[in-house]
Amino acid sequence: MKTQRQLLNGWGRTQKVTSEVVDLKQITDTENIFSEANGAGVIARGMGRAYGDAAQIAGGRVVIQEDRIDDSQLSGNHLTVHGGVSLNSILNSYVPKGYFVPVTPGTRYVSVGGAIAADIHGKNHHLDGTFTNHVSQFELITPTGTHQIDKDLDEDIFWATAGGMGLTGIIVKATFEMIPIESAYIKMETRRCTNLDELMAVMLGSDDKFRYSVAWIDLMAKGGDIGRSVLTRGDHAILDELHGKRAEQPLKYVANTKLEAPKWIPTGTLNTVSIKAFNELWYRKAPKLRQDQIATLASFFHPLDGVGSWNRIYGNSGFLQYQFVVPNGQEETLRKIVERLSAAGVASFLAVLKRFGAENKGLLSFPRPGWTLALDIPIGQENLSSLLNELDDEVLGVGGRIYLAKDSRASGPTIHKMYPEIDKFAMIKSKLDPNGLIKSDLSRRLGLI
Amino acid sequence: MFDAMHTPDNVLLVGGSSDIGVEIAKSLARRGTTRFVLAGRDLEAMQRSANAISSVATGEGVSVSVIFYDVVAEKSYQALLEVASTELETIDYAIFATGALGDQDEDENSPASTLEILEINFSKLAPAILNVANHMSKQGFGQIVVLSSVAGIRVRRSNFIYGSAKAGLDGFAMALGESLIDKGVKVTVVRPGFVKTKMTSHLKAAPLSTTPEEVAKATLAATDHQNASVYVPSAIGLVIGVYRHLPRALARKIPF
Ligand SMILES: Cc1cc2nc3c(=O)[nH]c(=O)nc-3n(C[C@H](O)[C@H](O)[C@H](O)COP(=O)(O)OP(=O)(O)OC[C@H]3O[C@@H](n4cnc5c(N)ncnc54)[C@H](O)[C@@H]3O)c2cc1C
Ligand SMILES: NC(=O)c1ccc[n+]([C@@H]2O[C@H](COP(=O)([O-])OP(=O)(O)OC[C@H]3O[C@@H](n4cnc5c(N)ncnc54)[C@H](OP(=O)(O)O)[C@@H]3O)[C@@H](O)[C@H]2O)c1
Repeated sequence: MKTQRQLLNGWGRTQKVTSEVVDLKQITDTENIFSEANGAGVIARGMGRAYGDAAQIAGGRVVIQEDRIDDSQLSGNHLTVHGGVSLNSILNSYVPKGYFVPVTPGTRYVSVGGAIAADIHGKNHHLDGTFTNHVSQFELITPTGTHQIDKDLDEDIFWATAGGMGLTGIIVKATFEMIPIESAYIKMETRRCTNLDELMAVMLGSDDKFRYSVAWIDLMAKGGDIGRSVLTRGDHAILDELHGKRAEQPLKYVANTKLEAPKWIPTGTLNTVSIKAFNELWYRKAPKLRQDQIATLASFFHPLDGVGSWNRIYGNSGFLQYQFVVPNGQEETLRKIVERLSAAGVASFLAVLKRFGAENKGLLSFPRPGWTLALDIPIGQENLSSLLNELDDEVLGVGGRIYLAKDSRASGPTIHKMYPEIDKFAMIKSKLDPNGLIKSDLSRRLGLI
Repeated sequence: MFDAMHTPDNVLLVGGSSDIGVEIAKSLARRGTTRFVLAGRDLEAMQRSANAISSVATGEGVSVSVIFYDVVAEKSYQALLEVASTELETIDYAIFATGALGDQDEDENSPASTLEILEINFSKLAPAILNVANHMSKQGFGQIVVLSSVAGIRVRRSNFIYGSAKAGLDGFAMALGESLIDKGVKVTVVRPGFVKTKMTSHLKAAPLSTTPEEVAKATLAATDHQNASVYVPSAIGLVIGVYRHLPRALARKIPF
């Protein structure tokens, strides 16, 4: 078997380590995946879009899979693909056939394995829940063998793996339900809100009328402008809503990466001033209210994918994403955190605010009913660590939590308190992996298992 | 492990009684590092260092242990790694802060003393650094800090034994860093000017003199940005840059 030591890091480009990277297709006898790794640990990796250290194990073995869609199978609305297949490939193949993925994150460059392992959410969580809500079964390679896991028959393993950050095994195949669509377009509404109260009121009042909803907040705005934001919501456009060229080819899917961020950018290119200016411009550009606008799927769901490797703009020290959820009724805490971030002058491009609907049974799944806020922060600001630790305490205090797929800095004890079902998770994992061979830098850093 | 701010969980301080080394360790403790191993000869002095580090730590459950290490002892590089790697699950951040200035005037007349200064500052320290570097390379990540000196950048008449040893160490550490670029292991070479510590307490402070606190601050800034080297204070880098290129005849006339 050909293996290779490779330098790896997450999307935030912070913790850089080397691991032995092995492509699953080179492994003839799957039993050897774990035993040959000399106990240093094994973890699956998809497209490396988790921000921190979830998809790496320093000194250990990282198992990757090809993004190969050619032998995918659609039966009714149910699609079966390999674990390494990206949502990008699925969209390219199936949008033209009239199907959309049940849930997509803010980037289409995630694998199905990564989507299940992080139990990802999209703009439709308030109505449709997470990705794994739509998964019916998957195939899991573990040190105790390869298991076919069915949502109804193997509840324990299913819900330990959904959100389990790869720690129960390697997902090599999965079946999930696609959304039938009439067009490759979204009918969209854009609304500018001058503060947080107004924004939350609109979202509470009418989010349920839209399948997709997300707001972007300018966290660098001060004083009366705190919480100024742009709310975009929409639904899949039906044929009747399209005109001209679009009506002629309603399922024509266009999604290109137009720009590539430069390979080398000096640290400090982005600073408080440049980010502030960007946010200002973006807010002013947004209309007060525009309805019934037709947008492409790519521009509505994946605007950031228009620039390749944009994570490099943060320079050598990288950046992190802070994402938390607080339960409904804890809007005061949300406001307090927004005000603290704003007062601390944390340099951040637009933060994303979204409402979560019902939670599922995922033992380590992140979403629970309430409000989730996510923001990117460049590394380097003085006292960032203690600020975020304090925010963690606020979040924990009201029964909220932070998202493991985005974490690169939290403390183990805090995470344990945020995820009370972690012990049950560890028990199920230990049955699949009695010798503790599956681990990641994330699980080591946080003492997850 | 490291977190996103490059704060390590586990730190090895070689030279556990070094004023500069302890100050770097304290800065890490303030940031949240909780596990330290101090290696050196003077166990009592290191116990004092341990207390100083614990007292400023912000993380929960701080633990500092002290192990014996003499740079010049037979195969001590081996013992250092063996003990450190049993004490620490991973060696995330290793600081090499041992060093001895010697007494130039006396050492010049004593081959034995000359040898000792070269050994302490370079030839017997380099294998220890290399051993830790190889260990980190295997573990897949790590940060090494090596205390060099401006004395090693342009070796001067007034302390050429110490200076040449530091020159060797500096070159060794810089090139080691290059060799580890794709191994996930970073080496940062710190080059202070005159620092007021017990090493220099018998000397008159030189121009641009600085403090262990400043050296610690600059060291963390450098490791945060993954810089290969840093002068402290930064102005001394400029001075040395000019000085290096002066003709010898002229340089000899400058009184430091
Ligand atoms: C720009 C951007 C926007 C994002 N927006 C959202 C969003 O809106 N909502 C959201 O929920 N997330 C979002 N994310 C996070 C992202 O969806 C998750 O981190 C996702 O897990 C990434 O998938 P990946 O294939 O890149 O997995 P990786 O990052 O490679 O791995 C993530 C985790 O999944 C595990 N894993 C990967 N493949 C497998 C497998 N085959 N079997 C078992 N475990 C596996 C890994 O071990 C690791 O723990 C965003 C990320 C970026 C960069
Ligand atoms: N101070 C300056 O002006 C200055 C300037 C540039 C560079 N530096 C460098 O910075 C580093 C730290 O120096 P410092 O200023 O902090 O001085 P320091 O307090 O005297 O520290 C030097 C340390 O080296 C230890 N040491 C010496 N020989 C040893 C040996 N054989 N085995 C094990 N440990 C040994 C000493 O331990 P004992 O207590 O056992 O002696 C002491 O802890 C040194 O490398 C020094 O060369 C200092």
